[in-house]
Amino acid sequence: MMRRWIFPILAGGLVALGAYQSTLLATPYALMYAALQKIGGDGASNRFVFSKMATADNQPIVRPSPDLSYSTCVFDLSKGPVLVDVTPVPGRYWSVSIFDARTDVAAVRSDRDTKGAPARLALIKQGQMAPAGYEPVLLRYDRGLALVRILLANPSEFPAVDAIRRKSTCKQV
Amino acid sequence: MKAWQRYVIVMALGLVGGAAFAVHQVRGGLNDGLVPNGPWETGKSFGTVDARALTRAKVALSGLMALPAKEAMYFTASRDSNGRKLDGRCSYDVRGGTLDGRWWSVTLYEGEGWLVKNAANRWSVAASAVKADAQGRWAFTVSPDAQAGNWLPTGSAKAFDLTLRLYHPSPEVIANPEKAKLPVIERKGCA
Repeated sequence: MMRRWIFPILAGGLVALGAYQSTLLATPYALMYAALQKIGGDGASNRFVFSKMATADNQPIVRPSPDLSYSTCVFDLSKGPVLVDVTPVPGRYWSVSIFDARTDVAAVRSDRDTKGAPARLALIKQGQMAPAGYEPVLLRYDRGLALVRILLANPSEFPAVDAIRRKSTCKQV
Repeated sequence: MKAWQRYVIVMALGLVGGAAFAVHQVRGGLNDGLVPNGPWETGKSFGTVDARALTRAKVALSGLMALPAKEAMYFTASRDSNGRKLDGRCSYDVRGGTLDGRWWSVTLYEGEGWLVKNAANRWSVAASAVKADAQGRWAFTVSPDAQAGNWLPTGSAKAFDLTLRLYHPSPEVIANPEKAKLPVIERKGCA
């Protein structure tokens, strides 16, 4: 009786292993896809969206920091490179990070890296060229997210920081 | 029962069971299997291509858009310094000293990482908000009820976790996060 089940159980174990690993591998892509749809839901790729400060009523992504202002650009490299120009906010921490479709960070540059100068990144795929004056960031997928974080010491600083951050651009070449 | 029926039944169970176990592990929180330091836990490979599939999936669920360690480290505590689960009905003292990085903040979350509604509209305590003494020591209170001094409300959360963000951590903290000097979380009492 038990003999009849040995090979089916072995096959079921292999299927379970495959299902386990496939689920783990697929999870980041699925969650990133959902995040990109949520953030760029109106179809607005390759431009910055300047979010309000995170509160309990405004949480565009999981585990947001209420101390940081977030600006996001859902990019799509299928029609060419995307240029990200980040205007620095003097005297405070800021960074721009580039996430690919698997949630990996392809690049991150902060005020410490640029020594207070603007960050100028060209998001490219294999075979695309970065324009002069831009640091190339090579990506393995068409879609992803550019995220600018700016630290606020207190919420009253938001209007001044907001005016500066809106000078940053994200655009297709 | 025919042989093909046995295969179909067991393989279907394997498919569902394997996927369900993966979901269970991913939903197990950000902390499992990572580097411990007192009540805090962190990972060294958040946001990087080096992350294991399970770590990447956990971070995607509970900390999407996390930065790599050279930029920021995320220490999460779901228990106090005595190992008891953080309870929204209890009050805690969080006490620390100078942290080895450029800037820090502690944020309170519930569930998979959501800010908690509270009447004070306060969700974090940052380095700039605490008053350190001459030795650099500081403290704040986590509690459902308003407290004197720096107070981080638990709102109506039954269970919560605290995430300590350390931006531009020192090379020593990046290399050995288990040895970093981090705050203690001490339970004072429960309602």
